[in-house]
Amino acid sequence: MRSGAAIKFFLGLYMLIFFGYLLGPLIIMSITAFNSPAFPKAAPWECLTFEWFGVLAQDERILNGIKNSFIIGAGTVTLSVLLGLAGALVLTQVWPKLRATYYTVVIAPILIPGVVLGISTLVFWDRVNTMLGFSDESLFHNGLFLTMLGQATFISSYCMLVFVARLQRFDYAQTEAALDLGATHAQAFRKVMLPFLRPAIGSAAVLAFLASFENYNTTTFTFGKFPTLTIELAQKVRYGINPSISSLAVIIVVLTILGALAYEVWKRRQKLAIANGAPIAAVSGGFRLPKFLAGNPAAIVLTVLVISGLGTVLFAQNYSPHTCKIEVKEEKQRQIQLRIQKLQEERKAEELQEKLKGPDIFTKEQRKGDKNPGKGSFGDVFKPGNLGTEKEDKEKAKQKNPGKGTFGDVFNPGNLNDKKNKDEKKE
Amino acid sequence: MLGSYLIVAVGFWVLILIVLPQLSMFDYSFRYNLPPAEIGTEKDVYTTSNYGHFFQGNEGNPDRLSVFGMETDIPFNQIGMSVFFKTIVAAVFVTLFDLLLCYPLAYYLGQSKGGGFVRSLVLLLIIPYWVNEILRAFAFRIIFGATGVINTSLVGLGILDAPFDFVREDIALYAGLGYAYILLMIFPIYNAIESLDHNQVEAARDLGSPWWRIHWRVVIPFAKPGIVSGCTMVFMLSAGALAAPQILGGPSSLWFTQIIYQWFNTGGNWPRGAAYAVVLLITCIIFVLAMMRIFKVKMGEIGK
Amino acid sequence: MSAGIGVDLDSIWIRFGEFVAVRDANVEIKGGEFFSFLGPSGCGKTTILRAVSGFLEPSEGQVRIGGKDMRGIGPNLRPTALIFQNLALFPLMKVWENISFSLEVKGASTAERRKRADELLEMIALNGQGEKLVHELSGGQRQRVAIARALCANPDVLLLDEPLSALDLKLRQHLRTELRAIQQQVGITFIYITHDQGEALTMSDHVAVMRAGVIDQIADGKTIYDDPSTAFVASFVGENNMIRGKVKSVNNGDVVVDTNRLGTLAGRLSPGAKEGLQAGDDAMMFIRPEAMHEAVDDRLAQNRIRATVIHEEFEGQAYNVFMEGDEGKEIKISLVNKGQARFFPKGETISLEYDPAQAVVLPAGEIASE
Repeated sequence: MRSGAAIKFFLGLYMLIFFGYLLGPLIIMSITAFNSPAFPKAAPWECLTFEWFGVLAQDERILNGIKNSFIIGAGTVTLSVLLGLAGALVLTQVWPKLRATYYTVVIAPILIPGVVLGISTLVFWDRVNTMLGFSDESLFHNGLFLTMLGQATFISSYCMLVFVARLQRFDYAQTEAALDLGATHAQAFRKVMLPFLRPAIGSAAVLAFLASFENYNTTTFTFGKFPTLTIELAQKVRYGINPSISSLAVIIVVLTILGALAYEVWKRRQKLAIANGAPIAAVSGGFRLPKFLAGNPAAIVLTVLVISGLGTVLFAQNYSPHTCKIEVKEEKQRQIQLRIQKLQEERKAEELQEKLKGPDIFTKEQRKGDKNPGKGSFGDVFKPGNLGTEKEDKEKAKQKNPGKGTFGDVFNPGNLNDKKNKDEKKE
Repeated sequence: MLGSYLIVAVGFWVLILIVLPQLSMFDYSFRYNLPPAEIGTEKDVYTTSNYGHFFQGNEGNPDRLSVFGMETDIPFNQIGMSVFFKTIVAAVFVTLFDLLLCYPLAYYLGQSKGGGFVRSLVLLLIIPYWVNEILRAFAFRIIFGATGVINTSLVGLGILDAPFDFVREDIALYAGLGYAYILLMIFPIYNAIESLDHNQVEAARDLGSPWWRIHWRVVIPFAKPGIVSGCTMVFMLSAGALAAPQILGGPSSLWFTQIIYQWFNTGGNWPRGAAYAVVLLITCIIFVLAMMRIFKVKMGEIGK
Repeated sequence: MSAGIGVDLDSIWIRFGEFVAVRDANVEIKGGEFFSFLGPSGCGKTTILRAVSGFLEPSEGQVRIGGKDMRGIGPNLRPTALIFQNLALFPLMKVWENISFSLEVKGASTAERRKRADELLEMIALNGQGEKLVHELSGGQRQRVAIARALCANPDVLLLDEPLSALDLKLRQHLRTELRAIQQQVGITFIYITHDQGEALTMSDHVAVMRAGVIDQIADGKTIYDDPSTAFVASFVGENNMIRGKVKSVNNGDVVVDTNRLGTLAGRLSPGAKEGLQAGDDAMMFIRPEAMHEAVDDRLAQNRIRATVIHEEFEGQAYNVFMEGDEGKEIKISLVNKGQARFFPKGETISLEYDPAQAVVLPAGEIASE
């Protein structure tokens, strides 16, 4: 058995890697939304810019997609909650022998691949359409209709699970009491069970909406003329990437985080409010209740985020990356210039070397020879016979400033000999 | 009134949304791809040609089935079938990867005492999932791209000389797929482990059992339904994934679902697409049943 | 007793598949009386209650309320109100809303409902608590709300399913008296089920003792206590010493029993016994702890028992002395604490005397388990 410390270390490492894998892509993607290059990059970082959000806001197709997503979402939510609730209630009433089969059937849509659901929906209603002799433009070919039905098929299953879980905590004696006191079945349901289910209805609706909004596999076959945001996104990602997609991602991530925190805050408040014998028996493992609202960490984080978010938005309105971009551009130009210069110099240096006939200047034998008295670290260049135009200028300069040229004292004729002597001494 | 609502709703759901469309798709797959005018006429007969196509490819398909390296005379849809098997194998691989990745964390979460740290971890887990799957795939595309973070840092650190084409090598795709379904693997296992009485683990440790044995003999058998549930979901979703392969797939990787998609779009052959979809469905059903049979787990364990 | 609505159970059989929950129950409950069904868990009393309230249709037989056959009439249409064991108050409604629920389903206006709720709150001594939520009340208060809620429905028959079982001792005793008072005040028929014979005896006009689906005896409390009709009733209701033996002779209700270990003893056949006794039958003799006292001398007689002391305990109002009896069972005698100084040392053999009229002899049968 390993020691506790080793386990803790590996655990920590594992967590780091795991959450890095989980959150890294999102963080990087968020960064690219603010970076100016037209292809999403996190590195190198160029200019902080909010322009991609602007691009996003003006993208017609994206906006249309958002609209369709909401319409379809609303429809799917309504349908799924109604169906899921009915499904859950029937599950509790149905004969035990039938129960397993019934359960399998209504859970099946979750297991069926989304593409299959989309295809089957499409095909079925097309068939119905043909059998009834309707035209091509009929309801049964309508993207909204088909998508809502296709999505509802499996989202109802999710809703049903939510309701089943909630119903397990329901005391059926209450509906019996209601009946006993004179209520009809409908009244008992409406006045006793439904209020109990209200939180579940909320959760189911939120769940359904989120599932509907982000659904791709099924929607991609049924959308017809009404692409959702997800569909549009997929198109963009495959065919025309620019950081406006990242900016959409950032918005979604931020909204999600805000939503999650808000939910946490709300949940904490609920728990505090029903500190003794809750009506909605919230059974959770080992949480300690006496925390004041002010000490609610989620609330604090939420407030901080909202404030900083607002601040960022304000900042964005006034901030112009224009100067930064120009700078970046200029910097790029400069870099390019430098590189060009360097290349040019290198090339010239090579040319000069080519011009000087003779053995390679960097081998030992050459240094010894008299033929090239002026050899030093700079090679053949200073051989009197090699003086080209540049060097002539330099000589002139040297004469003006004896002993001083671009290369300093080295051209001092006196120094030459000294150098040579030094070299000879070395050898 | 209540009763009629229940019957109508459940009837509608089960019959019109679940059962009939599947039957309809099944029926469709056995028909020819006829233009609308010809539907209902004598040409509209049943055929297995679409399935034939799945196994044998187009007419004039030069590929032949090789059995143990020996070529036979049976026409064989080399490309299609290899894509199919590759999809399945990849899905299995992704499932295993996710299982290994997620089990430790699920165990840790399940056995810890609750409290703020764990809850924020759970929150951290959930948040990426509220982000659209397209965007998640997109994020991976950015990261693994030629100018993406991974490549630039690898090149910058001198480990690589030139950007490595992750996309071509399918690594991007697998990483993306593995990522996509982490939540679905963690939660069932977490739920299962949470109900495990920690004292059992303590007792085992007390009796001198090494940690791996504790997991093998105590934890895993208990968490089996959760593990099977998670693996089933991940496999089905990977095999049926469409967005990730479309966005992250390189030219050499084609996913079976993409083929189906093509038949419905550019291919314009709905019945054939339906047939392929049925194949996918049946594969998934077989997988689920096999898992249930092998690990002796029942249906009633898909709870979120 | 005011004339209320009576309940008749006529040859009721209730079966669940193979299992018989209630076997040929015949009960006549008079209007306005407080009637209890007494028995251990699982004896079928709750089942009977559900049959009366309408949640269950008997397999055979008729349930009549006020003379009217209730077959096919659902719980919401019967003139009954049921108080559940766990009360089943509506947690998401306020107290006044809970109480006036039966008016709400009839469509009464909010004003009417509030008024009636206030009246009932006063009756159960919870004035002004109407705005609270259920979980803010104590156990005893919730009980009373449940009663008020049921009464608001103006039932002809109030059914109570072990309503006091979840409460502590003092509260239980207090509420016993209250329930009885409410019943007499309102004057409607109460059908009460319980496993606590103290409750049954103190509150009820009549008690039906049940065992495994069968009603052993229906009578008023005193009769049940003094003249039990079966061994089960004798052993279940109150404490009783049971002595086994064979009947030696029967003469006009006087029975002499050859007991297994305690000699020949005289007793009386219970007038309520369902079967008679003949010489040679297996019998059980039951003598209440308080019916025995120490004899003045050691003379043997048919109304004397000699036994060895095992231990004694002081219970406040009585001394309880435990002695060796039949086959490992103990004989308990209860001596009222009158300040006597006598104490019974362990191991001492003493003589007990009793009045044969108080020794009830019954055919041997099933007795209540400990």
